[in-house]
Amino acid sequence: MKMFPAFHFVKAATIGLAVATAVSLTGCSGSSPKQTTAAKKPLPPHPMFTFKDPADNESGAQIWSQNCMRCHQLRSPAQYTPAQWGVIVQYMRLKAGLTGEQAKKVLAFLQSASAH
Amino acid sequence: MRRSTRVAMCLALGLAALPVAGLRADPTTQQKYDALKAQMAAMARQMASMQKQMAAMKKRQAAMAASTQSTDQKAIDRSVRRLYKKVMKESQKISALEPGNIQVLIAGDVNFQFQHQQGHASTFYADSSPMIQVRVDKNIFINTAFDFYTQSGGAGGVNSDIGAANLNYELNDNITLGGGLISSPIGGIVGIYNPAPWNRWVVDGSLEDNLLPPNELGVWARGGVPAPNNLGYLTYFLFASNGPASTSTNGTANSAGSYNSYTGLNYGNWNPAAQNGKAIGGRVSYLPIPNIEVGYSFEYARPSADGSPVTINSLVQAVDFNAYYVNKKIDGLFRVRGGWTWDQVGQGLVVANASGGFSSLGGDSNGGQIEFAYQPSMCGIKYLNRVMAAFRYDRIDGPVSQALSGSDHEQRYTFGLDYWLHSNAVLKCEYEFDNLSGGQHGADAVFMQFAVGI
Repeated sequence: MKMFPAFHFVKAATIGLAVATAVSLTGCSGSSPKQTTAAKKPLPPHPMFTFKDPADNESGAQIWSQNCMRCHQLRSPAQYTPAQWGVIVQYMRLKAGLTGEQAKKVLAFLQSASAH
Repeated sequence: MRRSTRVAMCLALGLAALPVAGLRADPTTQQKYDALKAQMAAMARQMASMQKQMAAMKKRQAAMAASTQSTDQKAIDRSVRRLYKKVMKESQKISALEPGNIQVLIAGDVNFQFQHQQGHASTFYADSSPMIQVRVDKNIFINTAFDFYTQSGGAGGVNSDIGAANLNYELNDNITLGGGLISSPIGGIVGIYNPAPWNRWVVDGSLEDNLLPPNELGVWARGGVPAPNNLGYLTYFLFASNGPASTSTNGTANSAGSYNSYTGLNYGNWNPAAQNGKAIGGRVSYLPIPNIEVGYSFEYARPSADGSPVTINSLVQAVDFNAYYVNKKIDGLFRVRGGWTWDQVGQGLVVANASGGFSSLGGDSNGGQIEFAYQPSMCGIKYLNRVMAAFRYDRIDGPVSQALSGSDHEQRYTFGLDYWLHSNAVLKCEYEFDNLSGGQHGADAVFMQFAVGI
């Protein structure tokens, strides 16, 4: 019985992979004939990788409670003045690796909670 | 007339009337019926058509309402974001114009403790670590920390140290550049999660700490970035710093050219003679959700002895994790932290030994720890909700263990009870069981501490 050569198998697999990639890329570009004719507006680009700041969906209070508690007990906002929170949040942003946007939201929350 | 006769007559009359009733369904009435039937069918068709139209209209209305709503919502979101940015910009401008916009904060921590370790004199111990934090402006931040402490054993007296002296510049939302002296990120647990005594669940330092650099004197870049596709969050801390010096079996620095009794690394960062070789390293961590963090860190250096041109390789690697769970179901808060460190030093280097032969250098030391803590903060029982039960298992193996205890291996089990007076003030009491290699019993210890973070 003649064996299927490994070379042919690799070749077939390569062609298959290339075809699959081409098909998936075509799908990704969002230009199927039906869509093109039905909706004249161009489709948005396929989000292969989206980098969304976690701060976009979270409030300052949420970021504060979830992130600060990872390392220590939560401090009451009333423990410091709004100006002191400004210093503390800048320091803690470094320690916790927060983004600038997250730090801004946390600071806004702590300062408003501290002032009332 | 008999009753039966009357019934028979009625039946006969009824039967006779039937044909007369059939004659009354005349052709005119049938036509009317057919016309009415046709009209009914037409009306039914009209009704069906109207129902279809109504359904289509409802669909269109729903679609229009949805699109209007989403458009409105998006517009509102956009305007809120714009407004938020505007307000932040304006508030920053205003705060920059205010007198005294350089903000200074005195923070830090103070603690005192009592410790009694088997085979050693019991002692009280005190430590004060003031910290001066300065917010120069929205992008520049300075941190300086000192440490004053009493020395237990030996000559006694009061010692002082510097814990931090660094300057940081926030380049953008995700990158901060800095330079100076800072807690080392290697290992995570010491440098990031619980550097200050008030923030540690157990009093005594971990055995793993002996394998980790306590601080770095150099330059760094650090920050946080969102992971792709909303799959969590990443933090990083990359640095170049003064490298360590090599140490001998008794823990002192090796003299020039002498590596025969090499055991580990000395991270005394301010010994210029030993710092020609620099270290590079860093830590990256991944947070799938804010409650869980997994980190990997490393530091590579080519340490040498004082004044010696000979250098060897050293690589310290560590993994760490940290998680917490807070829920009414468990009446409070459960925490777990852990880490493991590998020290590989002088691998593959062969040197002449004291007896005239050759021996290979380097011995791998490793060690780790795992800590659990539970606080029934939501149990609703006064006083009990402030109690935290803590447990730690830690161990160390290899030459560093030899230098510490004279044993190839040491492991400890620590049980502690903490009482939180405040979110930043804690009373601790703990017992530490110590075991050495070969089933030997080590030096068990009792600790009591009162620590406050300010």
